[in-house]
Amino acid sequence: MVSISFLNPLSPEGKDIVRELGSFEGISQDIPELRSIVTHNPSQEIADDDEIPSNYLELALKRMEWYIKKKNDREFNGRRYAFLSDSAITKYDVISFYLLCQAIGVKFGPNSRETRVMVESQGDLVRERLGKLHVDEGRMMVEQSLQLLLADDTVHWTFFEELLSSRKIRLTDLILDQGELILDQEDFLQRFGPRIKHRNPESMYQLLIGDELKELIMVKLIMQETEDYIKQVHEKARIMVEPNPILLQLAEDVAEVLSEPMQHYGYGYGSGGGGGGPMKIGPLNPLAFPPCVKKAMEGIKSGGRNDAIVLFMTPFISYARLYPDVFRMNITKRVSDQDPNLESVENEILPLIYEAAQNCVPPLFDDQPQEKVNINAKLGFGMHSSLKMEHEGETTWYTPMSCEKIKLHLPHLCHPDDVCKKIGNPLSYYNRMIWEVRRQEKESSDDGQSDDGQGKSNNDNENSTEGNLKEDSKSVNDNQSADDKKGEA
Amino acid sequence: MDLKPANPNERRQYYREEWNVKNIPDFILKSLIQREFGFDHMGRGPNDRYRVFQNTDFLRKFMRYRAPFAAYSSVAFYHKPRRRDGWIKAELVFDVDAKDIPIRSCGCDNVCEICLNQAKDIVHGLVDTLKGDLGLSDIHMVYSGRGYHIRVLDDQVTGVDSDVRSQIVKYLVGSDVPRSEYSLAGMKYNLEHFTIPFGYPQVFTDRVKQAILALDPSMEMDGVNQKLIRDAIKYKDFLETDDWGIFRSKIGPIRYVKLIKGIASLNLTLVDAKVSIDLKRILRLPSSLHSGVSMKCTEIKNLETFEPFEDAVPKFVYERKD
Repeated sequence: MVSISFLNPLSPEGKDIVRELGSFEGISQDIPELRSIVTHNPSQEIADDDEIPSNYLELALKRMEWYIKKKNDREFNGRRYAFLSDSAITKYDVISFYLLCQAIGVKFGPNSRETRVMVESQGDLVRERLGKLHVDEGRMMVEQSLQLLLADDTVHWTFFEELLSSRKIRLTDLILDQGELILDQEDFLQRFGPRIKHRNPESMYQLLIGDELKELIMVKLIMQETEDYIKQVHEKARIMVEPNPILLQLAEDVAEVLSEPMQHYGYGYGSGGGGGGPMKIGPLNPLAFPPCVKKAMEGIKSGGRNDAIVLFMTPFISYARLYPDVFRMNITKRVSDQDPNLESVENEILPLIYEAAQNCVPPLFDDQPQEKVNINAKLGFGMHSSLKMEHEGETTWYTPMSCEKIKLHLPHLCHPDDVCKKIGNPLSYYNRMIWEVRRQEKESSDDGQSDDGQGKSNNDNENSTEGNLKEDSKSVNDNQSADDKKGEA
Repeated sequence: MDLKPANPNERRQYYREEWNVKNIPDFILKSLIQREFGFDHMGRGPNDRYRVFQNTDFLRKFMRYRAPFAAYSSVAFYHKPRRRDGWIKAELVFDVDAKDIPIRSCGCDNVCEICLNQAKDIVHGLVDTLKGDLGLSDIHMVYSGRGYHIRVLDDQVTGVDSDVRSQIVKYLVGSDVPRSEYSLAGMKYNLEHFTIPFGYPQVFTDRVKQAILALDPSMEMDGVNQKLIRDAIKYKDFLETDDWGIFRSKIGPIRYVKLIKGIASLNLTLVDAKVSIDLKRILRLPSSLHSGVSMKCTEIKNLETFEPFEDAVPKFVYERKD
């Protein structure tokens, strides 16, 4: 029988395992039993003895490595990590989970890339482990986990507030009645059975809820608990005198594991491959702008002007010019990191934003000159009338709104074309199209040359994101909400 | 009825003779000192912000003497409303403006009885979902002058952030097409939204039906051509009797998907989502005068019987000579 803590290390069983261990003493000592479990796993493929984790810390790093390689390495071989789905490692795995959360919480905090990778890897690992169990056993594990996670038979949908807020689940995915989430078959049949016509209510339950929705909710709740635990560790660490050096070392090792694909494949590129390193930045090319930006450039009528220029255009234009691969790199930067003398901001970015503002009806700055200050604020330079380096950091450099947010905030701008269907953020559209525009330009210039065999475009060094954009509609500063705007209705 | 603006004399008459501070709903009065108030004195937008009233008497005097063009109060509750600081919570609000309904059957330039009725039907649907699906009950409806505000004060939702509010909006208006493919034990099954009589698929079905029944041949919709709109209108009677299967087969399954995608995207504008996700918005004060159209912003006790052109018209409109 598999322990609940194999799926959810934060369960009471998992906490008991940690309590039993007691302290950090001997945490880096070899564990022969762990080596033995790994080497005796029939599915395990071992190319090199060094690949076998010998202690908690090495096992922790293997967890992260598994996720990173699975996401980024086209030659990823799951059998080399088969031990991660072997429930015999449970007690070691639980400790390594806690070590990872604590190391990341202490060193990087809850809003870091390391936290995001840890949370996502935990979700993927739970799914992987469930997939390896017998259907009945998996079902039972999900039921038991949910009982612990939900704590009550009836759950109001607002219980999932955090999951909804972080968009780990969508409200439209849940089956709700009178505010309650319906997961139990009997409950389902009692409430909806009489309404269902021409179909078997039991089959409908299996299709709409069955194992799938329960598993989804369980996985997302475990991910949320992991994130919350890291947050808790981080808060406690701030008042602690000195973090344990073992944790700091582990945190550094985790960062190294995470930076590896950046060097080899470019993080977030997925198994589709693609160029590595940061994207080449260059002058803006309006031909590659998405339909919403083109429409905003034409000018907005009174009513939607402020949001369109300040919240939408300012982040888009600035990121497209200075940091087009922000979502792929997922590293928060300041404008001056990309434009040290603010030359591009002064000479290219602001003129374009001001042009869009001037095209509004009436021109935005005619009746609302204070919006220039707000534009500076969204570039990260605080609420000041001019851009000064000493003010940088007083506010956050806003990342471009996702398509989803545009549909909510500025629906009149959203007239999607075919490319829009493949992306989740206008910046991804731009990155995709800039490559296409450059290719076309190159082709046409090659066509104009003699037939000398140079016609093949060579984009190998372009570091383009074509075909492998990982959409990140959850922006770096996605918690930026409408709460700093004050409107009236 | 002519919806022309109220002049300063009419405003003064309204606030001195007709308006009473007791007409402000209790859900605002009992949290008066935690709310920010804003006023528009000249008809150019609410520039007079950060106002706070310690009691109803101060508010009464202010309204009486200043007779503002428009009055607003925050949906947010603050510890320090004068500085818009110390945010405690905010009502969950839905703004249904008759002028902005995406599929209007009237075609008028401003608002008229037809589109106001359509707005009322939309409000009915939204309130049903708020109660039936989301289990909310502290719901207040207000006629705003050009449409309706739904204001929810249940504790479960007043603390939620903008992202959760945006998910609620999408659920309520039906802006996501529910999936139709499901799998079980390795087999794939097809379940169209209209065959699922509960939960979000039912909400989506209701909103799509409402939209198709109001379709107009001159309507423009992303990804939907005129021929498809004409066909949807031609076969819409099947939806009156909930014969969705026949409707879908008449339209054709691929074109049907295009149609519902187009409607789902339009549905996002059923309410002004900016209002719903804004945690610090100010909203027209119930009982105050909407001077732009000379109508009273009125709390609605019974939506069924409420008639804006009877229940929200100030006396001075009847006394106008022209």
